[in-house]
Amino acid sequence: MSMEMLRDVVKNVLSEVDVVIGYTEGFDKVHATPLFINTPEQVDRLIWSPICVHNLTTYLPSLKKKVGIIVKGCDSRTIVQYMQEGLINRENIKIIGIPCSGVISVKKLTKAVDYANIEDISFEKDGKINVTTDKGQKTLALTDVQPDKCRTCQYPTPVIYDHLIGDPISSDKPKESVYEDIVEFDKMTLEEKLNYWLKEFDRCIRCYACRNACPMCICQDSCIAETREPHWISQRLTTQEKLMFHMIHAVHLAGRCVECGECERVCPMGIPVNKLKRKINMDMKDLFDYEPGVNPDDKPPMYTFNVDELKIKEHKIG
Amino acid sequence: MRVGVFICHCGNNIAGTVDVKAVADEIRKIPGVAHATTYMYTCSEPGQDEIKQAIKQYNLNRIVVAACSPRMHELTFRRTIEKAGLNKYYFEMANIREHISWVGENKEANTKKAIDVITMAVAKVMQDKPLFSSSFKINKRVLVIGGGVAGMQAALDCGDGGLEVVLVEKSPSVGGMMSRLDKTFPTIDCSICILGPKMVDVAQHDKIKLYAYSEIEDIKGYVGNYQIKIRKKATYVDWTKCTGCGACMEKCPSRNAYDYFNFGVAPTKAINIPFPQAIPKKAKIDPNYCRQFTKGKCGVCAKICPTKAINYEMQDEIVTEEVGAIIVASGYSLLDLERLPEYGGGRYPDVISGIQYERLLNASGPTAGHILRPSDNTEPKTVVFVACAGSRDKSIGVPYCSNFCCMYIAKQAILTKDHIPDSQSYVFYMDIRSPGKGYDEFTRRAQEDYGVKYIRGRVSRIYPKGKKMVVRGADTLLGTQVEVEADLVVLGTAVLSNPDAARLAEKLHISYDTFGFYVESHPKLRPVETNTSGVFLAGACQGPKDIPASVGQGSAAASKVLALFSKDMLESDPAVAKVNINKCVGCLKCVRTCPFQAIKENQLRDGRIVADVIETVCAGCGVCTSTCPCGAIQLQHFTDNQILAEVNALCQG
Amino acid sequence: MSGVDPKQELRIVGFLCNWCSYGGADTAGVSRFKQPTDLRIIRVPCSGRVDPLFVVKALLNGADGVLVSGCHPRDCHYSDGNFYARRRLEMLKRLLSFLGIDNRRFHYTWISASEGARWQQTVRDFTEAIHRLGPLNIKREA
Repeated sequence: MSMEMLRDVVKNVLSEVDVVIGYTEGFDKVHATPLFINTPEQVDRLIWSPICVHNLTTYLPSLKKKVGIIVKGCDSRTIVQYMQEGLINRENIKIIGIPCSGVISVKKLTKAVDYANIEDISFEKDGKINVTTDKGQKTLALTDVQPDKCRTCQYPTPVIYDHLIGDPISSDKPKESVYEDIVEFDKMTLEEKLNYWLKEFDRCIRCYACRNACPMCICQDSCIAETREPHWISQRLTTQEKLMFHMIHAVHLAGRCVECGECERVCPMGIPVNKLKRKINMDMKDLFDYEPGVNPDDKPPMYTFNVDELKIKEHKIG
Repeated sequence: MRVGVFICHCGNNIAGTVDVKAVADEIRKIPGVAHATTYMYTCSEPGQDEIKQAIKQYNLNRIVVAACSPRMHELTFRRTIEKAGLNKYYFEMANIREHISWVGENKEANTKKAIDVITMAVAKVMQDKPLFSSSFKINKRVLVIGGGVAGMQAALDCGDGGLEVVLVEKSPSVGGMMSRLDKTFPTIDCSICILGPKMVDVAQHDKIKLYAYSEIEDIKGYVGNYQIKIRKKATYVDWTKCTGCGACMEKCPSRNAYDYFNFGVAPTKAINIPFPQAIPKKAKIDPNYCRQFTKGKCGVCAKICPTKAINYEMQDEIVTEEVGAIIVASGYSLLDLERLPEYGGGRYPDVISGIQYERLLNASGPTAGHILRPSDNTEPKTVVFVACAGSRDKSIGVPYCSNFCCMYIAKQAILTKDHIPDSQSYVFYMDIRSPGKGYDEFTRRAQEDYGVKYIRGRVSRIYPKGKKMVVRGADTLLGTQVEVEADLVVLGTAVLSNPDAARLAEKLHISYDTFGFYVESHPKLRPVETNTSGVFLAGACQGPKDIPASVGQGSAAASKVLALFSKDMLESDPAVAKVNINKCVGCLKCVRTCPFQAIKENQLRDGRIVADVIETVCAGCGVCTSTCPCGAIQLQHFTDNQILAEVNALCQG
Repeated sequence: MSGVDPKQELRIVGFLCNWCSYGGADTAGVSRFKQPTDLRIIRVPCSGRVDPLFVVKALLNGADGVLVSGCHPRDCHYSDGNFYARRRLEMLKRLLSFLGIDNRRFHYTWISASEGARWQQTVRDFTEAIHRLGPLNIKREA
């Protein structure tokens, strides 16, 4: 894709909408930051590279105006999910899709350079990354510092768009690989699994960053984690309460999570918070042949039913 | 908060296996409980008075009664505390009888369980909020489903009480099973002679709108305001033109149609009026047999019909009726003879069912009232009746008694003797069930005056031998095997629910039991009510029942509807969903899941979209509450916090 | 078997819909169908009211087993409530073992108001199953 083409398209789209949301440079070379473009002059500040990690669509439900938005394949699923749930008016949105061959995980990158200060970063066409740190230069493969979601990405090209910048890319990752890690994890004993989660969630500091970054957490200030009406969890810092919070998050996302991975990306404690949701998604696929954020006409499975559920069998006790 | 807890002994029902004093001592320790006591019968008048007095004396503002099931007495006690000036929703019942004292064998464990269950109720009552009913207008029309004797009685009583009645009957005529009977026990009244005038009354009643040959397609709404979709099945005869002259039936060349009215004793014509007294007396075509439908040509009836009523192109039609209450009197069916292969059911023409025998006895039946056995049209001299043919038989799936077979068998044996004086009848029976007024005398008359031989025992096999049927069974009183060579065998086949009973129940949202019979609100005290407000039961759809019981229930159901409609407005149940608009984020997931379309989108003045509950439509299921991610829509009286209070009380977080 | 020694009782929570299963438990009571005593019933209008998070809450906070019972499919007093319940509870059932909680500790079923014997059998079987699994000790930290 070419930056020039992106800028042209954004300029065009801007004439039809109130604001276009894209990415610009952030506080350092590895962080991008969202850019809200209201005037053609701002278009020049646009950037596009594997540091453009944010799922910008999270702004859409609350913006009650005409919006243009730049999306990667994964981000586009959020829009489809919003459409399924009636949370946005598609007519008010111009989607500028960019086929994506993977973004970086800052956590993995900083670890790969031994936590040295990164001064500069550049991306080669062949998937190589040149990183300049205060300790010297290092060349890495993008695939080594990608977030987990990119490794099994099935939708490198947005599933919905009005403009596509560049040629579509099809996924070279086997479909069966998507939930391999979940299946693998589930093979552990119950005790191992419980201990894993207790240990992981015990580290939760209840900052709610995972919730705040989640595009499907639409409750905003009404989140039941922070209210007494209803009083699902207290403010006590027990493992139970932390676990309860994450179960609330997972259950509320059942059949809705588009696996954008924002929750995990923003977790300051590095807790694998997306895992529970992906487990549910795996079951949703199995039970209802449903995958969130793929087809705008689908119905989220928790808000509908079949009188005869082909895959749900009555359980025996014990 | 000052909670009063009243623990009922229920005589020995609770106190026998729960240490109620120890329970009270323990409950008194809960912070917020200002008063806890026990009483012999809390639901009795002095028991209720004690609650009222305690409310004043101890300044109580929340009440818990630990006694029987809330399904039994919740309303009773709500009224009690309302009389004492408390909001009736400041009340909880702890079920320590049905769920504890009657099912737990260890007194110590029962006592501990009772303490837990009451603790949960106390936790819940502390979260309770005062709720207030609003009222809504009711549509004072009633739907009666089924035009058998129970349904007709209900329709007539409602009509006489001034209500508009919509009566839906699935077969072409009203009358039901009773219209097929020859005589009725124990008076030997002619069945159609006593039923016929009732059928005419139904037809002529200016308040009753009859839909014959129609079925319930769909039911929407709630007590006071139902919308009913009725499928008028195609009869291929324009009933507004048909005069019931019968010319078509006479000339119809297709003579082998199954006769539903006569239970297939003999064939009928493809176009027929089911029986002479049919109401409405209109013809209908059976397209499975009509040559115009099966062969594509004939048209005899269309040619012969003097009013040009025949319409081969007729389609089913859906009509909508609005009513405020529903009486279900959909009746019963009978076990197929084929289900009794050891008796040769369905294989041997001279093994017939009781209802078929009624048709043989009946003067307007296919044999004009002469008892002729189906195989060779000769008069049987030896007739064997087999009671409990399928009934009280777990292997058939009918463990229950079919209620009236003993009686009609006695009647049929008597009538057999009347018709054929030199005949001999035998009855194989398990027990003679004749508890009604004059019933036992009747079965004795059969034996003593008519010489019917009663053999106590079951029949093991029935097989042909020449022109005879050999009935082999046990005589358990003599302890021997017996064999009777019969000319005709009549099986008192088991009473079953209607094959489509479950489907109808699902449309009505009422419960049915394992056998498809509808479940009443309370087996003793609310026999014609269902758990769905506004839906009542009459007749054998609730369980096998004879004529007087069915008629009684028809009248009872009608009186329930008349009582319900004696008010112009109904009080709504305030335990409905309520939206906290400050919390609602307008995602409208509740709108999607509400089974009643009771939630709609509402735009606030600031432009914000929120959910809005239509209170009268909300049925109080709470699906919305468990759908809402932010807890903004709460089912009143079963809010998240109220249920969490119970969970927390039990699982001390 | 439990119920013999109340000190060995485990904590079992039952969420029962008012119209069918609670009635079924009442029917069992009226019929004097004896049951172990561990289970405590919470009455809800409909199985569709049972947020799967109630089950999670109970299990995390000390319950050893949770039972949810509603009307049979197609026989819901509120027409569709149990259809939603079935999907949600199935989702939870599968999630629990991923979390490391034996999903035999959670059972959901359908029992009508007339099925007292079925209720008795369910309570017996489920209580026995929970006793075989023993207490669920999710460690707590203050």
